Amino acid sequence: MQRSRALWAGIAAGVFAVIPLLTRDTFALRVVTEAMMWIGLAVAWDVLGGYTGYLNFGHGAFFGLGAYTTAVLMMRGHWPFALALVAGGVTAGAAAVVAGLPTLRLKGAYFAIATWALSRAVQQLALVLEFTGGPDGMRLPPFLNPMFFYYLMWALVTAIFVVLWILLERSAFGLKLQAIREDEEGAMALGLRPTAIKVQAFVLSTVPAGILGGVYAYWITFIDPASVLGDLVTDQSVVMAVFGGLGTLVGPAVGAVLIYAFKTFFWAYLSEYQVLYLIILGTVIALSVVFLPDGLIGLMARRRIKEPAEPEPADEDSQGLREVAP
Amino acid sequence: MSRALLTVDRVSMTFGGLRALDDVSFSVGTGEIVGLIGPNGAGKTTLFNVVSGYCRPTSGRVRLDGKDVTGKRPFDLARLGIGRTFQIVKPFAGLTVLENVTVACLLHHPRRRHARQKAWEILEFTGLADRAHRPASGLTLAGRKRLEIAKALSLTPRLLLLDEVVAGLNPTEADRTIELILDIHRSGVSILIVEHIMRVIMNISDRVVVLNYGAKIAEGPPREVAQDPTVIEAYLGEAAA
Repeated sequence: MQRSRALWAGIAAGVFAVIPLLTRDTFALRVVTEAMMWIGLAVAWDVLGGYTGYLNFGHGAFFGLGAYTTAVLMMRGHWPFALALVAGGVTAGAAAVVAGLPTLRLKGAYFAIATWALSRAVQQLALVLEFTGGPDGMRLPPFLNPMFFYYLMWALVTAIFVVLWILLERSAFGLKLQAIREDEEGAMALGLRPTAIKVQAFVLSTVPAGILGGVYAYWITFIDPASVLGDLVTDQSVVMAVFGGLGTLVGPAVGAVLIYAFKTFFWAYLSEYQVLYLIILGTVIALSVVFLPDGLIGLMARRRIKEPAEPEPADEDSQGLREVAP
Repeated sequence: MSRALLTVDRVSMTFGGLRALDDVSFSVGTGEIVGLIGPNGAGKTTLFNVVSGYCRPTSGRVRLDGKDVTGKRPFDLARLGIGRTFQIVKPFAGLTVLENVTVACLLHHPRRRHARQKAWEILEFTGLADRAHRPASGLTLAGRKRLEIAKALSLTPRLLLLDEVVAGLNPTEADRTIELILDIHRSGVSILIVEHIMRVIMNISDRVVVLNYGAKIAEGPPREVAQDPTVIEAYLGEAAA
């Protein structure tokens, strides 16, 4: 089943790779580029949210940190884009270590609250600091090459997906994460260090967000605290992952495509009914949480349930109860 | 008695005003099976939590093979060779039986593929191989208790702490688990076992330690301890003694 999912993901990557050969329409390319970005963001969010159960409500802060780091280094430091992009990912990852070490020891809602507060703090910081341009934001040198950004996004999101897939579904790391999600105390008895492993997962989840933020900044050429540090990035990533199916990587990717397509459709063709978008989205999410707790992917395959096909073989012998000699 | 593998040295543990362990000392020798008994609330599980690193004792020391390990965390102790089971079983419910054991095998086999191979061996040894691909949540109580043992065993421990792995099983299942414990012991693992079922403790233990209200009230070979008036009183009340 996992193999077939990997196959589908590969087919999807192939389809995305040939889209620019079929259309040169700038609007279409732009929409698909952004769709791929959301796939990357939702899949990255799933690393922590789905595989460990820790809900990061500050995903946007890491996206924004990447965007601002890239922008500041390019504009103020005159770094080349590629280096600034790497620095954006590193900054996001470093921020995750700092934020995660104290908060990932906590259970329940505290981590969600802490990451939400972090995202508000980062946004305020960008508003008041001088070198970030404050509320005016930052303008980057325009590099108007849709194909470049399309294939850059494609390559990055594919790489993110492949790396995360291998680490979470094929390597020891993913198994450890799931064990910690299921029972942290029990995992400790087996030699696992929960906090260290959760911080690693947090880094693994935020570095892609930072890198995608950097690409976004250079692609859109303008960032401000509202666009890259607002609630939108977090909210959409969470909704896409939950709707698609937590802890599966493929689910959040599917959720990202569907929700982003829905949003774009609204934006393009029903803009006078804009207000309905959030209402419909909210309803869909509420219904999917209630009726599809495993997300869309849970409809197609039941991985986390794995119901036994036949009843559990009884542990006792058929000869029945024989008493032990005392 | 051979050289002490585990030494519990004057350990006390207080929770607020409650003295859960009161100046308890005993040891487990290499190759020994030591039974730990006592009425409900006597402090057996607390003692397990202290020895396996889940609680730091208020006072006293715990030594493993002569080395002071007091206050070390559970994951460090697992590495040093202490494996434990939980009275309230802790299967990773969403994972399969095989995956559960594979996680434990990762301690000494860091690659997932190697850990998986090792896990199959453990499943064969513990009689769970036929249920390898079932979710751990779907096991019977007996299966889940067996899984606890399998996971602890995957750490290739020098000392195995078994917390009521027989209680709640029917006689046949109990028999099999006792056989399994003896098999593990024969492979060279020292065992400290908490059990309510006297028949089990009396049959397999080399020595028995009795706790009551957090304090050690008796220690010795099973037959002697069973005759001890203090022990009988603790279990049955003053009139019986």
